Amino acid sequence: MRFNLTAGGAGDSAGPTFLPSARRLAGADLTGRDRAVRWVLLGAGLVPTLMLLFLTAEMVREAIPAFVYSGWGLFTGHVFTFGNLYVTKLTVHNGVSAPHGAAYGALPFIFGTLVSSLIALIVAVPVAVGAVLALTERVPARLQPGVSVFLELLAGMPSVVYGFWGILVFGPILAQHLFPVLTHLGGVLPFFKGSVGYGEGLLTASLVLAIMIIPIIAATTRELVRTVPILAKEGALALGMTQYETAKVVTLPYVRRGILAAAILGWARALGETMAVLMISGDLLNGFPANIYSPFSTIAATIVAMLDSALTDATGMAIHALAAIGVILLVITLVTNLLGRLIIRRVSHGVVLPVGRGV
Amino acid sequence: MLSSGRHLGVADVVGSNLDWTVQLDEVRVGFGPKQILKGISANLPKGKVTAIIGPTGCGKTTLLRSINRLHDRRPGFNLKGRILLDGESIYAGSTDVRELRRRVGMLFQRPNPFPQSIRENISLGARIHGLWSRADVSTKTEYLLREVGLWDAVHDRLSSTPFSLSGGQQQLLCMARVLAVEPNVLLLDEPTSSLDPHSTTRIEELIAGLKEKMTVIFVTHNLQQAARCADEILFLEQGEVVEQAPVKQFFDDPADPRSRAYISGWAV
Repeated sequence: MRFNLTAGGAGDSAGPTFLPSARRLAGADLTGRDRAVRWVLLGAGLVPTLMLLFLTAEMVREAIPAFVYSGWGLFTGHVFTFGNLYVTKLTVHNGVSAPHGAAYGALPFIFGTLVSSLIALIVAVPVAVGAVLALTERVPARLQPGVSVFLELLAGMPSVVYGFWGILVFGPILAQHLFPVLTHLGGVLPFFKGSVGYGEGLLTASLVLAIMIIPIIAATTRELVRTVPILAKEGALALGMTQYETAKVVTLPYVRRGILAAAILGWARALGETMAVLMISGDLLNGFPANIYSPFSTIAATIVAMLDSALTDATGMAIHALAAIGVILLVITLVTNLLGRLIIRRVSHGVVLPVGRGV
Repeated sequence: MLSSGRHLGVADVVGSNLDWTVQLDEVRVGFGPKQILKGISANLPKGKVTAIIGPTGCGKTTLLRSINRLHDRRPGFNLKGRILLDGESIYAGSTDVRELRRRVGMLFQRPNPFPQSIRENISLGARIHGLWSRADVSTKTEYLLREVGLWDAVHDRLSSTPFSLSGGQQQLLCMARVLAVEPNVLLLDEPTSSLDPHSTTRIEELIAGLKEKMTVIFVTHNLQQAARCADEILFLEQGEVVEQAPVKQFFDDPADPRSRAYISGWAV
């Protein structure tokens, strides 16, 4: 925490010292400019932490009235409406007043957020890992840098572009060609039965989310696969194993932990993804999707979609309600992250080994 | 069984007979423009231990890895000439590389067990090649672990990771893993260079015992080890064969002055 930019400060007058004296540690040898730099850097270092604390505190403070008004209903209610904003009649509940008819039940959004991100994850992880194995094992070494550039470009594409493409191209194609086939699964999984709609809904959004997080998971996995010692893979090849068997027996066990971590990164992105989902979700309010093809909504998409009208609520409760579901999203993200870390730690204590040790 | 004529020409090699397991016929190996092996011809006798020796960079390991086609996917790899295994060219289009690698086992410079349980390290290869049924695994695993002398150390933790074993134990495990697929040829690439003296002795004992069942070809930097373990010496320099001779003859009375110079650098 000290930045001694000048050569030989006041504390060094007795000759060159290489051990920091108590005076130097206390900053006694710093000039005024040094001290200024020190404080500026200290401040800069604290900004992220303070920002996070401030943001969370502010969100929670903003959300409290909605939590009081709805109580557990916030988590269990199916109806989310700001009420009638154009009459002065108010509903009072738990001592908090809100526009008449207002109800803040976020369960459909919580459901939508979790389910869409999980479907995305289930689709994305195998595709990303498979793609990486194919790339590293099959694509000639000199083409690999080019392929990586594509991966990174894909990861950096604005989500509104994904959304636009999803609603205009991908959704209709899915509804026409893929979804009718999937309805045959209805016998086993009832969620796949019924009308397939026009391609705006849970499955389309989940698949677009999957496409969005594939580059994130793939980029991380690719770095991991590169760290697998060649010698370890050669052991399998020299035993007459195919590249597929080598990947299964050697490469994947080496990177398993890292893939979990990568998946959690991708999951976090999917949970919070807003714009693309908003554009493709079909934006269902006050209910659950009838089947996997139906419209739905997520917390993030709802906040954006309803912000405008929330600002017109004179009681301010609409904003409180949006802040409340924002806090729920924050908590979900936090919990999944912690859960992920826990899983990673658990896996590392099992049969699977520390990467790179002993080889 | 061993002929003493060295520097064999193509004609000698192609007239293959049952005395040779591996025959090298004007083998040239390069990576891109860089030529590593510049026409190696040699016959490696069946049921014997041949040590490939020579200064660093002479192509020992490159030659060894050509015999189980481990270079195949390296960029720029090219091979001219022929390598025959039991009289059949291993770089012919019809070669089943998996089967070739099963028949030609390899032990590496450093132990490289799979990130799987100790049991699976031994059984996976044999299972994949269809040599063992599920029911065979426990008895055959035990047999192999006893054979390499690891059983007492690991019998109570067959389901745990091999990475908690010592380096020497890991290398013995790798040896058991290779033996499980019943190879006819065993390639050893300085297998003891990272091991303690005790494990080295154990590996050398194993080599001595194995040569009755298979042909052993090993690369070593250690001339004492070559003198201890080998029946035949193949001495390379700069990608060419300098001399091939029975071990006693090579160390007592080498034919080539370069061999003499190389040995005397070591001899006391």
